Amino acid sequence: MGTVEVVKVGGVISPFRARAIVVGRRMQDIGLQVFHNKTAMAGLIILIFFTVLAVAAPLIAPYGPLSAVPDVGPLTLPAPGHPFGTNQFGYDIYSQVIWGTQISLLVGVLAAAVASVIGTAVGLVSGFVGGWIDEVIMRFNDVVLSIPWLVLMIVIAARLNYLDLVGIILVIGLTGWSVTARVVRSQVLSLKERMFVERGRMIGSSNTHILLRHIFPNAFPLIFANTILTVAVSILSESVLAFLNLSVKSNVSWGRIIAEAYQHDALTIGMAEWLIVPGLCIVFLVFGFYLFGYALDEILNPRLRRR
Amino acid sequence: MPGDPSLSIIPRDPKFRGLRDYMISFFGLDRPQWEQFVIYLQRLFTLDWGLSYQDHRPVADILLHDLGWTLLLVGTSTILTVLIGIAIGAYSAIRRGKPFDFVSTGIGIFLYGMPIFWLGLVLQSAFRKNSVFQGWIPWWPALPTSGYYDDRLIPWNWDILHVADAFLHLLLPALTLSLGTLAGISLVMRNSLIDVMTEDFVTTARAKGLSPRQVLRRHILPNGMPPMVSLIALDIAFILGGAYQVEVIFRYQGIGFRTIEAIGSLDYPLLQFIIVIGGAAVVIANLLADFLLLWLDPRIKIS
Repeated sequence: MGTVEVVKVGGVISPFRARAIVVGRRMQDIGLQVFHNKTAMAGLIILIFFTVLAVAAPLIAPYGPLSAVPDVGPLTLPAPGHPFGTNQFGYDIYSQVIWGTQISLLVGVLAAAVASVIGTAVGLVSGFVGGWIDEVIMRFNDVVLSIPWLVLMIVIAARLNYLDLVGIILVIGLTGWSVTARVVRSQVLSLKERMFVERGRMIGSSNTHILLRHIFPNAFPLIFANTILTVAVSILSESVLAFLNLSVKSNVSWGRIIAEAYQHDALTIGMAEWLIVPGLCIVFLVFGFYLFGYALDEILNPRLRRR
Repeated sequence: MPGDPSLSIIPRDPKFRGLRDYMISFFGLDRPQWEQFVIYLQRLFTLDWGLSYQDHRPVADILLHDLGWTLLLVGTSTILTVLIGIAIGAYSAIRRGKPFDFVSTGIGIFLYGMPIFWLGLVLQSAFRKNSVFQGWIPWWPALPTSGYYDDRLIPWNWDILHVADAFLHLLLPALTLSLGTLAGISLVMRNSLIDVMTEDFVTTARAKGLSPRQVLRRHILPNGMPPMVSLIALDIAFILGGAYQVEVIFRYQGIGFRTIEAIGSLDYPLLQFIIVIGGAAVVIANLLADFLLLWLDPRIKIS
């Protein structure tokens, strides 16, 4: 991160202005490093591609996600106009794949946000307060970590019977925060021994102030990188749930398209695209998040830097 | 899934009312939920794990049979994964920045992001009878894609025929699970070794004239392995999650396959015990890892 010298521009500057300069410089610094990091850029390009696809789905997709195509019947082979064919209800699979981007991205990002907020709050409190509270929280965290997450998710998703978009986001978010909590806690443990915390105490800052204004901002970059990785995991989780027919029923997602292709034996009837393309979409989107997340982690985490 | 299990066991017909009432009181479903939970905990410790709603057999009997096959699957693929993953990880750490490292890390991250169920589906279609590849390449093999062993060989016998057939049936599921979890191990191994390689004692070892091979075997590996052991143990929960998907795809009727079935038939006692087993597996794996660490790393002492 390096030292940042605050330049006084004409007389005394307010502490807020100084802070804004420091934060701004640091963001610029990080942005520049991301720009020069090939891995990060490769990831970013993939992410931008899928984001555009998701946002512009209504413009790109020739048909709606759940509306029968007028000109051909169900289960038609790929042909001009329907590059991936139509599914068992006569929906255009090519359009479904494009619309599916929306759900996968939305669920992935929001579920990761839920997991990160909870994980960060738990990790901050646990690491900063310490003592028996830390002990209790971490033992509880161990219990959550020791239940195989997929089973936990399947059971909760199945228990809720009808899942809307919010439901699926909560199921994935609420089962996915324990790793984040661990990462944040260990970061807080090292941060709270640092000099600036001691200085803060010396001038009489309250615990809340130190936690929110000194420790949290310093831990934030790592939390952000970790969130990006959590998005990847959340997208995978959604696809598994959708494949087991436990995800949102009213929207199309890639996992559900794969499940339908599997149920109708797409490969035997000559519709390989039905099975392969949505799978590759998941792989590339997750790949993009991993590349970006890892590269960001390498940039922000001084321990991983090449010496 | 929420709902009254008695309705799925007994036909919805007024003449079965008595039977239904009997079943409800037999399984203790007429008591408040907290009481049911306390009773469950109590019985858990007395090794009475309840009866399956569907089979009316003790859940432990049902799951003991499934557990054997799941352990075979998970065990085989974990051993494969750990050996290959550590080798790849170590080699790319030594070759950091070289083409091998670049390619293996790239493929690793790519595989890491692959949904295991999809990988299973693709492999299944590639190796089934009359697959597309067989049209292109005459010697392309066809492998069994479902079950523990061929239906015509039932019942199971301990002879060469059965074992060989079970091995053939194990190939695809184990390969899928290994490919799905390989990347995690090799990437962590690589990073762990790279961490160690920046330490001063490695520079010292090189400076005193040890060959790269000696530096690796005597200085880098002994220090890089301990974190791997605890990470592999933590990964068990993840591997189990993968095993669930593989079992469903390949109709390999282990614990995972049973879970999906139990959800479908509202078999709560079975489901509860599956979760208990899953938790126990992770705890046991971590305990074993701690013992292994104690043996691997002389600096760790029991306090």
